[in-house]
Amino acid sequence: MTDALSLEQLRAWVDGFAASVKEHREELTELDSAIGDADHGSNMDRGLRAVGEALEAKPPADAAALFTTVGMTLVSKVGGASGPLFGTFFMRVGQALKGVDAVDVAALTAALEAGTEGVVARGKAEAGDKTMYDALAPAVAALREAGAASPGEALAAAASAARAGAEATVPLQARKGRASYLGERSIGHQDPGATSVALLLEAAAAAGGGARAT
Amino acid sequence: MSVAIVVVSHSEPLARAAVALAGEMLQGGEVRVEVAAGLDNGSGGFEVGTDAMRIKEAIEACVDADGVLVLVDLGSAVMSAEMALDFLDDPTLRERVTISPAPLVEGLVVATVAAAGGATLAEVAAEALDATAAKAAHLADPPEMQTDPSSPVEPSSPVEPSSSVELVETPPAMSGRFTVRNPHGLHARPAARLVQEVRRLAADVELVNLTTGAGPEPGSSMIRVAVLGAAQGHEVEVRARTQEAVDAVVALAERGFDESFETPHEPAADQEPATSAGGPRGASPGVVLGPARRLVSAPLEVSEAGGTPEEESGRLDVALAAARGEVEATHRALRQTPEAEIFEAHLALLDDDSLLGRARALVAEGRSAAAAWTDAVAEVHDEWAALDDPYLRERAADVDAVGEQVLRSITGVAPAAMPAAGVLLADDLTPAEAAALDLDLVQGVVLAAGSPTSHAAILARARDVPLVVGAGDLARTAPDGATVALDGSTGEVHVDPSDEVRRDFERRAEAEREQRRTALDAAQRPAATTDGVTVVVGANLGSVADAELARASGADKAGLVRTELLFLGRDDAPGEDEQATTYAAVAAALDRRVTLRTLDVGGDKPLPYVAAPAEDNPFLGVRGVRLSLRHPDLLRTQLAAMARVADDADVEVMVPMVAVPAEMDAVRALLPEGSSLRLGMMVEVPSAALKLPALAAHVDFVSIGTNDLTQYAVAAERGNPGVAELGDPLDPGVLQLVERVVAAGLPTGVCGEAAADPAGVPLLLGLGVRELSVAPPAVPRVKALVRTLDTASCAALAREALTLPDAAAVRRLVAGS
Repeated sequence: MTDALSLEQLRAWVDGFAASVKEHREELTELDSAIGDADHGSNMDRGLRAVGEALEAKPPADAAALFTTVGMTLVSKVGGASGPLFGTFFMRVGQALKGVDAVDVAALTAALEAGTEGVVARGKAEAGDKTMYDALAPAVAALREAGAASPGEALAAAASAARAGAEATVPLQARKGRASYLGERSIGHQDPGATSVALLLEAAAAAGGGARAT
Repeated sequence: MSVAIVVVSHSEPLARAAVALAGEMLQGGEVRVEVAAGLDNGSGGFEVGTDAMRIKEAIEACVDADGVLVLVDLGSAVMSAEMALDFLDDPTLRERVTISPAPLVEGLVVATVAAAGGATLAEVAAEALDATAAKAAHLADPPEMQTDPSSPVEPSSPVEPSSSVELVETPPAMSGRFTVRNPHGLHARPAARLVQEVRRLAADVELVNLTTGAGPEPGSSMIRVAVLGAAQGHEVEVRARTQEAVDAVVALAERGFDESFETPHEPAADQEPATSAGGPRGASPGVVLGPARRLVSAPLEVSEAGGTPEEESGRLDVALAAARGEVEATHRALRQTPEAEIFEAHLALLDDDSLLGRARALVAEGRSAAAAWTDAVAEVHDEWAALDDPYLRERAADVDAVGEQVLRSITGVAPAAMPAAGVLLADDLTPAEAAALDLDLVQGVVLAAGSPTSHAAILARARDVPLVVGAGDLARTAPDGATVALDGSTGEVHVDPSDEVRRDFERRAEAEREQRRTALDAAQRPAATTDGVTVVVGANLGSVADAELARASGADKAGLVRTELLFLGRDDAPGEDEQATTYAAVAAALDRRVTLRTLDVGGDKPLPYVAAPAEDNPFLGVRGVRLSLRHPDLLRTQLAAMARVADDADVEVMVPMVAVPAEMDAVRALLPEGSSLRLGMMVEVPSAALKLPALAAHVDFVSIGTNDLTQYAVAAERGNPGVAELGDPLDPGVLQLVERVVAAGLPTGVCGEAAADPAGVPLLLGLGVRELSVAPPAVPRVKALVRTLDTASCAALAREALTLPDAAAVRRLVAGS
């Protein structure tokens, strides 16, 4: 038996992410008010609440369906740039998990890689642009390096990499999105999108912590 | 139905108000406008945001329209609109949708008016993009007016590249005039030179043709310059922001844009170009009798289906780079000939802002690379073909030629090829086709259209292929396989000639062959300078066929036998027997001394049976002897095969990419026991050239590979057109390296392009080189050149060349000597 995440654990990840965003809603909005339009926290919270409702209404049959539903819902409910970006991310993750029986570290890595590629294609961001990519990229790299570790360990490494990536956006000058209009004045603030990514990976680590299978 | 418009905004009230504003302009016309703005809050109201699904539905509501222009406001609106395209139920609808970077309000107003007037999608999109032109013109002066940098600045709307060169901005302050001196006006070649200069100046230069009133056009785009239609005698105004830029352009014009007005090899230059009227005309001399053949090619199909704009943009870039590489290779092959200028113009087209900008803008709109490129090329072609000047009209063929070359690269369809040996019949040939003709198969060419001044004709002469142009129906109707007799001097062409005509042509062909034999006979004799110094002129070979050609051409030896062909394109290494057989065959075919080079490959040409790590810089990595020494079994086998051949033939061995004596010692240690094979090194590494005295004791002879030595010495990659000018082996720094090598006193040959370069030969002789190795067909020409030189004058020339700053100065020195 390989170390794999169950559908319940994946669902717990999504729910945990939603709860965490709700909890940090004001903090995210505050970050966004410094360099954006002060709607990231409320937008993400609104989107993830809608995700919870959609998953309740029609429980997904597998991991692919779960993340596809998350993505489609975010696209329609978030509103700001985070809608298409997080939406694309989850939809690509869903696509990558299609037909995957055991969501082990390898499958998870491939799926998050696909999601990250989708974000880059959609937002055309590069490392150091002060975007969510600056947290996603190190998280995926950490997953890739974790290789043979258990999902819990791998995701914990990814979560701390994402958090470090988000914190590293503080001294950067934004080159993408609304924040880029601020030019140098975007320096000194942590990017809200990257912060949400850190919350996402931390939720994953929490949900995957009990994954050491039989 | 006309073009429909979808308005995407974060704010639903803003979108509604903008639509109402645009509606006031309509005056009775009708345009379908859908709004996808704000975020449905589920209770009848809207929050600020955009929703990809609603945009998708809005686009699909316009399914009956002739096209859909999507106008978007900021940030996520763009991404959501792109995402909506991915969601469309009917993917073919996507081809009729354009997401516009135009400003929302202004764009919506003008797009609505244009769509109501029945404009096409492309026209509506262009109108929208230009929507701020009126405001920009109104606010243009004074230039000092700037926004306060400390206040939040609205981003300027992204401007499509093609329109950036068309927008007339602030009229530049300075101006000057010149009269076009060039016989064919500002056509491809001078236009390319002008664009090069304007870019070098990094100045906004505009040109107006005062004689015709055409312009202003930006001087930074060759295509736009061509549109001026500036013919000889026309007066042109130059406008720029600085007097310096104006003066530089006027000075260039007064130099005739550095074009040499003499047109050698153009027997019919005084005739009206671009016409096939008046019957067949000779365009490249030579008499041939042979079966009629036609080029066979797979059709080029342009598919609209493609990947994401990023993927398609990548495909376009790769294809452009490939085409640049091909054109650059042809250009290099024709260096020092006037024909090379054709390909300079092609290179300029492949780098033209206007052409590339159009193609990239279409790709950004979601078109496939093939479709976007085809449309961009067609637009430029039409613009040129509509010009009054017949010479420029003819140059529209350049655009087509470059267009097709890139398209073949995008689609991966191989260019047309001859099915078998014979006389090629065709409507016309693109320069790329003419340059790619297989000389083993093409005995002569008859074109239905074409002119003696066409690129195809110029290339045919450069490549010594008999050619008749303007043969009309005769070229189209002659059945495949019918005997064709042609005389490229007189323009005579006969299909299925009578016995009498046939005998006459056979006589003429024989007389010609006799003439060539005389020239070849001279090549068979050793070449000596006028002061009696013998210079060995050898050939560079890669195969037995090369060796046969080299022998017929009078090569005194094979100064370089490449062994790579034997190793490439197979799954396992050739064994000792196979190698020995091949080397022996080459030596036997030439029947003179051969210098075999050990395997010279690197990370750029990986061999499946040689493990090699991927390298970022294969030309600075494990290649040549470095690779051979890491696979001693491979090298031992190769040396054993070479040693075996040396028992029966005059064979020596040289080793590529040697940098330190230890490498030569390691190679020598792998020679079969007791072998006395002469072992030399190639000098390609600059440091090896400088410390040759330290290497001398370890080698029996040296051969300078000027191509690689140059690329390493001047730090300019071969095959990179951006640095092609730097990579000239006549750079005085490279010549100094050659001088150092010769001074070490070992037998020294040169086997790079410089050895066949008419400017390179006197310099190499002047530096003391007494052995050259060149491509087999160049042997007679190089021998003839050697016979006109004397070593004392060459030495004086070389001494002066060594003091000059760059290769261009060296070439001027040689040309003036």
